[in-house]
Amino acid sequence: MAGKASATPATYSPSPATRKGKPTIYKDGDRDWVRPDGRGFQQCRPAFFRTGAVNAASGSAYAEIGNTQVIVSVFGPRESKKAMMYSDVGRLNCNVSCTTFSTPIRGQDFDQGSDHKEYSSMLHKALEGAIILESFPKTTVDVFALVLESGGSDLPVIISCASLALADAGIMMYDLVASVSMSSLGSDLVIDPISEEESYQDGSLIISCMPSRYEVTQLTITGEWSTNKINEAMQVCLDACGKLGKIMRSCLKEATSATSE
Amino acid sequence: MGLSNVVGDLSLEMEVDAFRRLFPLRFYERHLSESIRPDGRTLKSARDTSVALGAVASADGSALTKIGSTTMLAAAKMEVMTPSADAPDEGSIDCCFVAVEYYMPSICSPLVRPGRPAEIAPVISKQLYDTILSSGMIDLKELSLISGKAAWMVYLDIYCLDADGALFDAALLSAVAAFSHLRFPVVSLNDEGRLVMVPEEGNGDKSGKEVVNKEKRKLSLSSPPFSLTCALHKNYILADPTSEEEAVMETFVTVVLNSSGHLVSLYKPGGPVLTQTSVIQDCIALTRQRMKEVQEILDESISGMEID
Repeated sequence: MAGKASATPATYSPSPATRKGKPTIYKDGDRDWVRPDGRGFQQCRPAFFRTGAVNAASGSAYAEIGNTQVIVSVFGPRESKKAMMYSDVGRLNCNVSCTTFSTPIRGQDFDQGSDHKEYSSMLHKALEGAIILESFPKTTVDVFALVLESGGSDLPVIISCASLALADAGIMMYDLVASVSMSSLGSDLVIDPISEEESYQDGSLIISCMPSRYEVTQLTITGEWSTNKINEAMQVCLDACGKLGKIMRSCLKEATSATSE
Repeated sequence: MGLSNVVGDLSLEMEVDAFRRLFPLRFYERHLSESIRPDGRTLKSARDTSVALGAVASADGSALTKIGSTTMLAAAKMEVMTPSADAPDEGSIDCCFVAVEYYMPSICSPLVRPGRPAEIAPVISKQLYDTILSSGMIDLKELSLISGKAAWMVYLDIYCLDADGALFDAALLSAVAAFSHLRFPVVSLNDEGRLVMVPEEGNGDKSGKEVVNKEKRKLSLSSPPFSLTCALHKNYILADPTSEEEAVMETFVTVVLNSSGHLVSLYKPGGPVLTQTSVIQDCIALTRQRMKEVQEILDESISGMEID
């Protein structure tokens, strides 16, 4: 807490943060609006993955999708907390936190501390089904994520990155977990939304799946959706997950071929 | 004596990795007597160091530094504040224009768990803050926008992404690098008397608002500080220890010099090895050497950025 003396005066950011008066990015009935970054409605941002970002961890991965940057470290399997009861299957412990500079305005998303409780539990639920917990009884695997920069679709990026980190740590899984989100904006559906699009969305759909088994580990839908739209969105997202899975797989292959050489 | 004989015998037949984990001190002492370290360095050489400026797009100044595998990400953000009445142009000691915070998120080390912050983090925070202010690197007058009315407040946040020893050295280097990358956003006064950022395209004239800071766009850093941590063990001095070495050894000396070679601070937090003048002088000499290396690396990355 150094430097943050109690006498520190109130400060404000000079950036024009308020959206008031700013026109929305699309108009109702305007079928030809363009996304802020010029992508097609069903076009994802370029994805970049790299394993082994943190040497101190058993396994780790770095993901950069558009402006969203995430690091995930995996520790363990290691001894569970003393207070924990005996358990035949392993435990999974997830934690997501954000840097103060992840949002345009410093500390904007801060409640108590920098932990993101909601993301932590959703990450846990998305990964749980993919990990073979029976392979490490009595012990805990810790999955810690740090959002370096939040540029939209943060949770799907964290989930995909975490499953890569688990693979890097040699934790047994049924398959990698790839995750993609979709925003509903008026009558349109946009895949892999950026922060600006997320702030205008009427509803969102996040799907996490194991591409080669074609099984869904988590599906989160918020807002107003019609059945047709859900069907369409799920199909598009599952398609995108398949492609994302291929990118993640090739990243893992690269990493192993680099070490074996 | 009995034990050390047993250890000596065991070491002949045991695998190296097992020996390293079971008898770390013996393992290191064996190396030290041969004047080499397990990672192949000589005792007095530091690890490979790199600096990348502008790693965080949303910050006004940022840097990613690596010393070996110790990785630090520093980002500085500027906010506007009203300075106190008794020091309209510069911050007083307890109300300063610069805030430095050092974080150790749980991703960086197996020893840090969420909800239980690392004990060392606030210590390094305070050390960094003291070093940055007392080195006089930043002229606080440069942070004044409108005398007595508005000034810049710099929030510098440093995140440890990978902890492998010499944390303070890496954090200080990333802080200095982030400050040298810092560019002030262009601001103008709006109707409510608050300063607002002028969009990059330069349409500040369109709204008729006058830009407050046309010329002052960056800090002029005078003789920035650089540091080197040395681990002391018996008569050996090991520069730039890794986390494994830090775990085995118990005495450390951190020397901070500014770029003109003056001593800024010297920190020896306890430890069983009592240091003599000659040892301190050796540490300072090593830091002087290291400072030149680091400054070259930093200058290179700064000039590399200006070409782009």
